[in-house]
Amino acid sequence: MFKVTGATGGYGKTTIIRDVSINVEAGEIVALLGRNGVGKSTFMRFATGLIKAEAGTVEIGGEIAPPAPAKRARLGLGYVPQGRFVFPRMTVTENIAVAAAANGFDPKATVAEMLEDFPLLQPKAGDLAGGLSGGQQQVLALARALAIRPKILLLDEPTEGVQPSIIDEMAGVLKRINQDHKIAILVAEQNLDFCLSIAERAYVMEKGAIRMETDRDSLRADKALQQELLGV
Amino acid sequence: MQLDYLATVLLSSLSSASILLIATLGLAVVYGLMGVINLAHGEFLMVGAYSALTATQIGLPYPLAIPFAVAMTMLIGAIVELLIIQRLYGRIFDTMLATWGLGMVFNQGAVLLFGTVSPGIGMPQWNFSIGAYSLAVYPIAMIFVAIVMLTFIYVLMTKTVYGMKARASIQEPQMAQAIGIDSTRVNTMTFAIGCGLAGFAGAILLPIIPATPSMGLFFAVKGFLAVVVAGPVALTGTAATALGLGGGASITASYMSSVFGDVFFFLATALLLWLYPMGISSRWRRKL
Repeated sequence: MFKVTGATGGYGKTTIIRDVSINVEAGEIVALLGRNGVGKSTFMRFATGLIKAEAGTVEIGGEIAPPAPAKRARLGLGYVPQGRFVFPRMTVTENIAVAAAANGFDPKATVAEMLEDFPLLQPKAGDLAGGLSGGQQQVLALARALAIRPKILLLDEPTEGVQPSIIDEMAGVLKRINQDHKIAILVAEQNLDFCLSIAERAYVMEKGAIRMETDRDSLRADKALQQELLGV
Repeated sequence: MQLDYLATVLLSSLSSASILLIATLGLAVVYGLMGVINLAHGEFLMVGAYSALTATQIGLPYPLAIPFAVAMTMLIGAIVELLIIQRLYGRIFDTMLATWGLGMVFNQGAVLLFGTVSPGIGMPQWNFSIGAYSLAVYPIAMIFVAIVMLTFIYVLMTKTVYGMKARASIQEPQMAQAIGIDSTRVNTMTFAIGCGLAGFAGAILLPIIPATPSMGLFFAVKGFLAVVVAGPVALTGTAATALGLGGGASITASYMSSVFGDVFFFLATALLLWLYPMGISSRWRRKL
């Protein structure tokens, strides 16, 4: 359903990821693991089209994705970047509405739906997004990505800088989204517990390439790999 | 001091500030929503003035000449964005150079087409008096025009889908694309609107400021400073700086001389930029 083949790219003349191939089936939750700086975020940006491809293709819902990020969004690629990047001088409502409208969905209905799904945002609906806490911004960035009604959701370090109680809540929310709306999720993380709690399958990255593919049970059993990923 | 004199000075200063604001809003939109400093803004104002003048000369009534000028400048603006500006986003000095050069071309083009002097269209001769002083209605009406223009831009940018897309595109350009906003088209539209606002200013101010090829320069300098002092919250900020700097300069001018008015303007600008290097609105929690 979501398939990246031979992804090679980076910034300027520096190639950061080489020949990365990943496949996420419809309705699946897959984790992308690896220590800091192995190229997880670069891979995510490659998939969205925000960095230029040196080589490789991206397939969304059976279609080869065109290079423009806006067109990929319309094919059903939702993206929650590391660091959230909500639109700071727009209200919570506007952040969601603009995403819906840009993809031809009714902004009002979408905002109502998202506020119902994420009650945490309700009291903040009229506030500027720049004034929200880190956790609230993370939830807003997620709601904004869901407003485009994606087939596949890319989450880049969603637990970074978020307090533990909200991390647990987030795992629940992601599972619910996955089951209720049949949205596939690819999540890049360093938080191993969080990944093990939601993902059935995982890719492990190292030095800009995929080192191995594994599933939840083998990962749980493989203490040596866990140690390595946790960087202890 | 007599009350009627004070009222007259206040009204005409407010009128000067409004005229500056009318002339500057297009610049504020383009800078605030695209991060582009359009140094040809004054020349777009000039193009608007000449468009309106030409329209009245071929027999169009003045109220219809204004939308004609807006359409012309929007069209030229869209073409300029597609051919030049679009290639230079994120390169602020390059865009300044390119638009400066473009301004020169427009300026000389106007000299070739229309000559250096041109007939004004005459102000509607309505007057009203406050105590012993008589004031022309048209310049005072510019206060109202400035308010209408501000409201129009505010509603356009905050209540419409286009406005949301334009603000998203300047605040987080990459994320705007990643959620499906075609920022190329949004930018063309925003630049065209900014130029259209300049054209509107040139046309509506035509009875007060006659069309000449170099008329843009005066507004370009003060407008540019007003926008830079305003900072990131472009619309509210520019309204505040145009009112404060323009109005203050005008009051100073009426009690001393126009030279002191300009001295006030530039000293106040320098002081404000020293106090707020990122603009007075850098810490404001406002949309626009």
